[in-house]
Amino acid sequence: MDWLVKQLKKEEWSPYAAGVLLGIVGILTVLLSNKLLGASGGFENIAGLVGKTVAPSAFSNTYFNFVMPAGISYSVVLLVGLFFGGMLGAWTSGTLKFRTMDDQQWKQAYGAQPWKRWIMLFLGGIVLEYAAGIAGGCTSGLAISGGMLLAPSAFLFIAGMFASGIVTALLVYGKRY
Amino acid sequence: MNEYIIALVLGVAFGFALNKAGLTKYTKIVNQFRLVDMTVLKFMMTALVVTMVGLYPLRELGLISFPTVPATYLVGNLVGGLIFGVGMALAGFCPGTCVAGAGEGKLDYIVPGMLGFLAGAILYGLTYQLVFPPISSIANFGNVVLPDLWNVNALLLVTVFAVMALLLFYMIDRMGLQRKVK
Repeated sequence: MDWLVKQLKKEEWSPYAAGVLLGIVGILTVLLSNKLLGASGGFENIAGLVGKTVAPSAFSNTYFNFVMPAGISYSVVLLVGLFFGGMLGAWTSGTLKFRTMDDQQWKQAYGAQPWKRWIMLFLGGIVLEYAAGIAGGCTSGLAISGGMLLAPSAFLFIAGMFASGIVTALLVYGKRY
Repeated sequence: MNEYIIALVLGVAFGFALNKAGLTKYTKIVNQFRLVDMTVLKFMMTALVVTMVGLYPLRELGLISFPTVPATYLVGNLVGGLIFGVGMALAGFCPGTCVAGAGEGKLDYIVPGMLGFLAGAILYGLTYQLVFPPISSIANFGNVVLPDLWNVNALLLVTVFAVMALLLFYMIDRMGLQRKVK
């Protein structure tokens, strides 16, 4: 019991231990609901919901009606869970608090101005979500969920992601890479 | 209704795992691409191995069938991955880690991060017809898994994958297959 409490209070686990937990979650997702984990899909369902409220005609297209129907889907509930899971993890290690610009290495890479980070995260979000749309999923819904069932799509995605990610980091960090 | 409770619990466990792996931090993500911290790779590969070892035998025994797997269309999967990697290395997050990090109280994940994903989702949904049908029709193999595509024994492939992953972990941890921070 003491051991368990000690583990729960740790801010960071071995990646292998955390990976085993995610693996078990992956197994249970298939066994209990015959579905796959995902994150980018939930944003699409919410986007449809928001869009149909604001501009119903513009958002009444094939995509938001049939491909990723607007509404509170399984994926949206997963997102809610993800949010509270992050909260639970931070709470157990005593790191739960409102903050911004808490990453030292970010400041070294881009400077300490919060507006730069906010713009980068907003633009990054757009790029990532759009790319996930093209690829058929994100790190969760495609790389992990597809990879764990040996879907070739996942490994193509992972190869692309690592190739361009390494080049991008090389460009951002230059001599400090 | 019941399904929503399952989704909520699984989502919480998923977010908890991301938090404990440290993946809700910019540094962890970008240092994977700098090849100075292999946490992302170890975490992902471990999860992949655990799940396939757990599920494939059940499928082989005919006890379960898989849900629809992400479709394989060579160019789209690859191009999507290439664009995704740029965004991930620049911003240091992805959709899942952004939401989990938002739960930790990171205001920059809560506000610009989540709004960015929402904006991207709107943009994609409105341009879907222009982009997706053409790119996904190139070299489309459908919702296929490798053992079926190659017609090889699934358990053999799972074993090979698991051994390769263990070998990779060994090379990272014991043979220094990781760059040093400058």
